Amino acid sequence: MRRDMTINLVIFGLLVATAIGAHLMGEGFTVTLATKAAIFGLAGVGLNLALGYGGLVSFGHAAFFGIGGYVTGIFASHAASGQPILTLPFTLAGSNEMLGIWPMAMVAAGLAALVIGALSLRTTGVYFIMVTLAFAQMLFYFAISWPRYGGEDGLSFYVRNTFPGLNTFDPIQYFAICATLLGLALLFTAVVTQSRFGLALQAARQNSQRTVAVGIRPYGIRLTAFVLSGMIVGLAGALYADLNRFVSPAMLSWHMSGEIMVFVILGGVGRLCGPVAGAAIFILLEHLLGGVSDYWQALLGLLLLAIVLFAPGGLIGIVTGSRRHA
Amino acid sequence: MHEPILELTGLRKSFGALVATDDVSLTLRPGEIHALIGPNGAGKSTLIRQITGEIRPDQGSIRFEGQVIDGLDAAARARLGLARSFQVSSVIPDFTVLQNVMLAVAGASGNAFGLLRPALSDHRLTEPAAFHIEQAGLSGRAGVKAAELAHGERRKLEIAMALALRPRAFLLDEPMAGMGLEGGRQLTAILSDLRTEAPILLVEHDMDAVFALADRISVLVYGRIIATGTVDEIRANPEVRRSYLGEAA
Amino acid sequence: MLLLAEQALNGLQYGMMLFLMAAGLTLVFGVMGLINLAHGSLYMIGAFACAAVAAATGSFWLGMAASLAAAAAAGAVVEMAVIRRLYARDHLDQVLATFALILFFSEGTRWVFGSFPLYLTLPSALSGAVTLPGGLQYPVFRLVIIAVGAAVALGLWLLITRTRLGIRIRAGEADREMIGALGVDIARLYTIVFALGAALAGLAGALVGSIQSVQVGMGEPVLILAFVVIVIGGIGSVKGALVGALLVGMTDTLGKALLPGLLATVMDPSSANTIGSALASMMIYILMAVILIARPQGLYGARA
Repeated sequence: MRRDMTINLVIFGLLVATAIGAHLMGEGFTVTLATKAAIFGLAGVGLNLALGYGGLVSFGHAAFFGIGGYVTGIFASHAASGQPILTLPFTLAGSNEMLGIWPMAMVAAGLAALVIGALSLRTTGVYFIMVTLAFAQMLFYFAISWPRYGGEDGLSFYVRNTFPGLNTFDPIQYFAICATLLGLALLFTAVVTQSRFGLALQAARQNSQRTVAVGIRPYGIRLTAFVLSGMIVGLAGALYADLNRFVSPAMLSWHMSGEIMVFVILGGVGRLCGPVAGAAIFILLEHLLGGVSDYWQALLGLLLLAIVLFAPGGLIGIVTGSRRHA
Repeated sequence: MHEPILELTGLRKSFGALVATDDVSLTLRPGEIHALIGPNGAGKSTLIRQITGEIRPDQGSIRFEGQVIDGLDAAARARLGLARSFQVSSVIPDFTVLQNVMLAVAGASGNAFGLLRPALSDHRLTEPAAFHIEQAGLSGRAGVKAAELAHGERRKLEIAMALALRPRAFLLDEPMAGMGLEGGRQLTAILSDLRTEAPILLVEHDMDAVFALADRISVLVYGRIIATGTVDEIRANPEVRRSYLGEAA
Repeated sequence: MLLLAEQALNGLQYGMMLFLMAAGLTLVFGVMGLINLAHGSLYMIGAFACAAVAAATGSFWLGMAASLAAAAAAGAVVEMAVIRRLYARDHLDQVLATFALILFFSEGTRWVFGSFPLYLTLPSALSGAVTLPGGLQYPVFRLVIIAVGAAVALGLWLLITRTRLGIRIRAGEADREMIGALGVDIARLYTIVFALGAALAGLAGALVGSIQSVQVGMGEPVLILAFVVIVIGGIGSVKGALVGALLVGMTDTLGKALLPGLLATVMDPSSANTIGSALASMMIYILMAVILIARPQGLYGARA
């Protein structure tokens, strides 16, 4: 328990130290890589709530990542053009305030998670995996074939959204925003998984029949976890859109779902900071292997295969020598 | 005579051509231990699962404390105080004993959605849980992971979880299965105490335990109840001797 | 009317192609309990093998044979090297390991063949169109795909109901330990089933590659549609895969062909076109959602 906490602090500390160190050495690009790791880590933390703690193997979380991204892109592009997003049933103007956009992104992702989750949770096991994948794919094709916001080409916005008192264009300041949100999400996960709800969620994962027999319906518990998970991933999508000032259907693609899953597994399923470590290592590998070969994903594939086959506890599992932490 | 706590009327369940439960009617009265015995494949577990709400009967009705519960799902029935144990011990393996029982307390309270308060410092969960752990004879084992418990201790944990549901009736599915001689003796004593909490519908193969504990016995053969009565009546019943006890002895 | 008939045939052809993919997926899941994301890679391997051999020998037929052989061989190798370590694992590990295989195969293929699409030339006997009764001109090769799909469906049905291998497959679905106890070499049975599913995927890849193009990543959209198919049909059921594939093929094709036109009767043409095509691209998922609400275990599924 204490050892896990130490590892969590070390992982988060390393990420922050990397960004600050790179900033002091004037390595803006490395700061941006650390920011990307923080954002992907946030997405992984969100998925981990459903996948790691709830045992809900969602292969469709790119849907929420993409929705968060598109909400950001749509608000920003309307703020630039001055056209309202909606006039009916009420007028909704564009915005370039992060503090206004984030709740919108989270609510939109949460609503999508509510609908997708309510349907998908009627199934279990391999059906659940495929159904979540299929629903994300549905949104992917919708984004491609809906020309209003760029269709296949995606949607660019030229100015990063603003945050009161900060210059979001400065890499280290944007990193600070992302790392703070990641920290809050970690705190939230730590609290929620220790609560009554967390108890019921983890019980339902391990023994659904027993959970029912003590009077708890897993469906509502799992749906709640799925929605919270989708909201966190939606927030990560919003940050990612702002990082790139660009959103495209690629954020909704099943590769994205797979990658978010990889962050979780690479670090260690059901561990608080596992996804952060996983995302950081993923980005590091992308960077290092990308220098070795243009076909670095083939190497990544082999590495990932080796981890699944020979180190099923993920990287933190290698350190602590245990498969998962409940 | 008191109103029965649990009353099954004309339950019938078939799987394809196999009739697993055939017009079963049965009552569980306050304070009694009612044993359900029968050869393997007689449909005992199927019957229990209909009472808990895991499967729906094709016909018939179940009343629990005067209320028809046919429309309630398994979780709702558990919250009414219909507490069960499983044939194969069923607990949450990665949870400690305390967490397992806390889960049952949370379930019984009908509130499993508290998101922010740490469960382990919530007295409304920990205090009742600690009480029931002691009640089931697991004092000092609260911090042990359920997966690391010995078989008999896991049985006791199930009983602690059942107690945490503030039970109005127990459904115990072969609690003696896999217990050694000494463990069986201990468990018999615990079950005998349990009856003061709530009546027990006991599915059991261990005839010594059944004859020692039961107030009434029902014999289930091929999905039908062929006899219900006191221990002596069942011992003396020629049909029971022929179709069941005769083979078992 | 002719347009509708043509689109119906297109839907049938699409459905048959999806069936070739879905049959392998559903067999592998039914017999081994494995979810295989890399099935789309086998489809791609079949297409590339066909293109490479056809280009080298000048023979389309040799290319087709190569697609079957290469996909089956790749399937067998992957099964023995990786997949068999996953049968006892949970679905999460299976998803991840087979996702890793996709990364490996996609990038590996890009490394060998480059990123540019390859094109196949159909032999003259299969190119061109025939006039069907009613006056419809329809490409011969699409009719061939329909025929191949139907033949595979019939062949699988005969295989499963009439042969020793089929009996073992059915026994393996029912009870894995039982079949081991009967003295069947499970490891070999699994490799054969996996290679059979791979060969069908490879064949589908080669057939589709012949009318479209052969490129890296071609297997992934098809894989996801095949998932939709087996979720609709019920995982493990070959019959469900056939029915699901035809439903998905028809819904998708007819939706894309007809929806914009239907909507144009109630709104202006340009927004009808936009909304119609966006809606059409979501149709099969809506179909899947509706079927899941009614039957979470799929049309012919026993397990949920």
